Amino acid sequence: MADNEDTGASVSEPLDLVRLSLDEIVFVKLRGDRELKGRLHAYDSHCNLVLGDVEETIYVVEEDENEQETTRTIKKQEEMLFVRGDSVVLISPQA
Amino acid sequence: MPQAAALQNFVRSIRLSTHPPPPSFHSTPPFLPLPPFDQRGMSFFGFDTSLPRDRGRGPGAKGFFENSDPFAQVALADKFVDGDAVDFEDTYDGLGDQLDDDQDEFNDDTFGGGGGGGGIGEAAPVGRDFDFFGRTAGVADAIGEEQVRYSLQNPQSAPAPAQRAPPPATDPTESTSRRTGYEKYSEPGYIPDLQAKSSVWAQKVEPSPAPAPAPAPSRKIMSLEEVEALEAQMRRGQPGGRLPPQQMQQIQQMQQMMADPYQRHPQQFPTLSDGFHQLPPELQAQLEKGGMPPPPPGMPELYGGPGPAIPPGAPFLQNNLPPQNMPPQPSRHAGLPQGQRPQHMEQQLPPPSSRAPNNGLPVITNPQQLLHLTEEQRNAYLVEDAKRAKRNHKIALLSRGNGLMTPQDKNFITRIQLQQLVAAAGNVADADPEAVLAEDFYYQVYSQIRGAPRQHPHQPLGHFAQTYLLQTGNRLGGNRHRNPLQGADNHMQRMQQQVQRAVEAAKAKPKNKQLIIEGSLGKISFSNAKAPKPMLNIKRPDSSEGPRPKKVQSELSLSDRKSILTNIERVYSALMSMEDMERTMPPPPEEGDAEAIQKHMEWRQELHGLNQKLWKALKVMEPIVPNSTTPHPFIAFLSHAKGKKAIPRIFRHIDQEQRVTILTMIVVHLDSLDVVRLAQSMPGEAQPSMAVRETIDLFSLAVMPSLLQYVNEAPFNIIIGLLGLVIAQTHVQSVARTKVGLGILTMLLSRAELVKEAGQAPERDWQQWVEKFNVLFDTLEPVLADIFPGSINSGDDMYVWQFLAAVGIGASPEQQQRLVIAVKDRVMETVGYSKSLPADMASQRLGNVNLFMRAIGLDVELLG
Repeated sequence: MADNEDTGASVSEPLDLVRLSLDEIVFVKLRGDRELKGRLHAYDSHCNLVLGDVEETIYVVEEDENEQETTRTIKKQEEMLFVRGDSVVLISPQA
Repeated sequence: MPQAAALQNFVRSIRLSTHPPPPSFHSTPPFLPLPPFDQRGMSFFGFDTSLPRDRGRGPGAKGFFENSDPFAQVALADKFVDGDAVDFEDTYDGLGDQLDDDQDEFNDDTFGGGGGGGGIGEAAPVGRDFDFFGRTAGVADAIGEEQVRYSLQNPQSAPAPAQRAPPPATDPTESTSRRTGYEKYSEPGYIPDLQAKSSVWAQKVEPSPAPAPAPAPSRKIMSLEEVEALEAQMRRGQPGGRLPPQQMQQIQQMQQMMADPYQRHPQQFPTLSDGFHQLPPELQAQLEKGGMPPPPPGMPELYGGPGPAIPPGAPFLQNNLPPQNMPPQPSRHAGLPQGQRPQHMEQQLPPPSSRAPNNGLPVITNPQQLLHLTEEQRNAYLVEDAKRAKRNHKIALLSRGNGLMTPQDKNFITRIQLQQLVAAAGNVADADPEAVLAEDFYYQVYSQIRGAPRQHPHQPLGHFAQTYLLQTGNRLGGNRHRNPLQGADNHMQRMQQQVQRAVEAAKAKPKNKQLIIEGSLGKISFSNAKAPKPMLNIKRPDSSEGPRPKKVQSELSLSDRKSILTNIERVYSALMSMEDMERTMPPPPEEGDAEAIQKHMEWRQELHGLNQKLWKALKVMEPIVPNSTTPHPFIAFLSHAKGKKAIPRIFRHIDQEQRVTILTMIVVHLDSLDVVRLAQSMPGEAQPSMAVRETIDLFSLAVMPSLLQYVNEAPFNIIIGLLGLVIAQTHVQSVARTKVGLGILTMLLSRAELVKEAGQAPERDWQQWVEKFNVLFDTLEPVLADIFPGSINSGDDMYVWQFLAAVGIGASPEQQQRLVIAVKDRVMETVGYSKSLPADMASQRLGNVNLFMRAIGLDVELLG
């Protein structure tokens, strides 16, 4: 870790790590079997996020007639997305 | 007159128990036809409820309106009033007398059902659930058709009787006495059919005949159609109830409690109360409780009378206002001059074109009425009517949302807004500018960028409250002419005072953030919108001390992704604090003002510190490790989009020395820049990927202008040095295959050419330059054909022609020849290709080629 400078951008709390991913592509996992991948434009202390060029993936578990569970994915493309923080499970940088 | 007083009380109690009109009425277009019994409003006051004829029969022995002679009471009333009213006996045509019991055998046909309920003398009980509306509506269409048919058959007879309109009280029809016409409106969802009443404008041209005694109509027994038609004529003649002055006053007294829209209302009650007195007591009680559909308050004339002053939906508003704000408007009650009356009515009329055939309303539409107008009048009417329709539409649009919010809702919203104002305005007083800036940072910065006049950071916030209030006031004020007594000014003043009080209260509040009540164990902390109550109170370690990770070997981690990102964030932090510093720049010190000079010096010192911080974070000065596998930290910084975006902001805050260092850094690492490295388009290969092209565009937009700006001011020796670096440190042939690489080379070459032309280049320097240029030329010559992106039709190759032009200008004649030979094929290809393009694209392509051709003294035109 290179947070040894007194520039104020040092990592001292978890969200400082999120800051590193500003303007980068991040992967966000949400409650309700949803995942987002997009450019992080902004975040706040509640993990509210603003993402751009987002691809949303929704996993839907369906039971067919043989009571076999199949997972279907729905993909959506959004230009800009506001994500309310209470549904965010994890934020991960996508190198 | 105790009975009359009792009646008034009774009516008032009904009025008070009446529900306000259902909301749907607020927004429906305010056209409601006059009910048929309107003209009998005169009978309201002073009629004896227990007439001799009625006394014999017990109350409840009869149906609602089943008087054999409903107008006897009117006659009584007429006696009671002054002589200026028409004497009933003089004008009574005796029609009512003819209406023998056995003449009502059609009643069942008309009103359906039977049970012998029609007979006057019969005591057949009418249930309290008797469906007047339903019965009437059942035949309403038929009646309407009959009326139209009648008026078509007797085109002349229609207007004629109107001119000798019978006196107001002589409505001889049974039908009107049985149906009030209100039943429809009692249905909550009812929207009245919109119908033009031609009778109304017909009245305009005809002399007002109403008060004059009229010759009694023929005494022959009339058919139902005739009766209906006659009734219509009379309505035409007597559209409004006229009341003598004494009764007027009574009404006014009664109306002290009533809102304006209901003012005309009492006139319509006599008919009802007339009937009520014959109801069994329990039914009356039920009525008072509102068990029956209440007489729709003011509906028929709600918009007919005070219409222009009160937009539909206004009753809601007015209900909230003290009644004294709404003084009765006497002129509305007095019998209006016949000429005026129709005007009010007309305002509710749709344009004539929309008049539909009578379909069941107790209104007779007589299309002929319009024909009797002169052309001029008709036109005038149509114009006015269109205006009215437009205005009504506007009103309807404006009032669409009326009544959606209850007063409680509004109070709630107002409270929230006030709270916001307090939070905003309260801070202006005591907080420092920094806090104000933090309150709405983006607005402040935005207004700074836009150059909005702002002397003072708090000024806009202070204005916010004022603007808010002013706007509110203006909006209300705009309506002032509509509701002259609504007190828009008062409202605004009240609001302002409220805000002032609230702000004061907020200021008076204890400043400490928590309150400890004696004897209690806990603390109560205050919170507001700005400083929410802290849920956790964790002390952050001071940045100077406290546990911090020990210094890690920076050389090893410098270029890993996370540290690059950390560096970028540091740069941004430093940038933001520098930009913040700029905002707080003290005014330039004047001579001799030691304190100001001192302040300025301190500020400069601080800014310099920040500059150093920024410079450190940029890592430009990190040693260049030759042949290193990891890129230089600064180049890594530039490989991120946000790093590129930071360059223009950085260049604003650094000095020339630092700028040239950055430029040198970029030039030295030109072939390891991502925009160069990833953009190597192999010959014959398609363009680089979309993402790479975006990066290149971003670099061209964000970084290149800053570099170019510096290069255009750079001394010649620096240009020479840079070119030497390109040749010595980078793989020129691959750099030249990229847009950014060529762009930087073009930048250097054209700057050198400009310096030479300006004669600023010392001979020795120039020699040095030519030397370097020759090396460059020789290196590039073999690949000149390959520096074009993709195939000929791939579009953007202008930057290549620009580069070739820059080379061509500086080249010797011999070099120019070699140049032409090297790119001749591409030139010919482009010229040939442009012939297949549309004119504008062709000229653009040729223009690009010509950039180069002219640089070496040629022209595409010469190629034919």
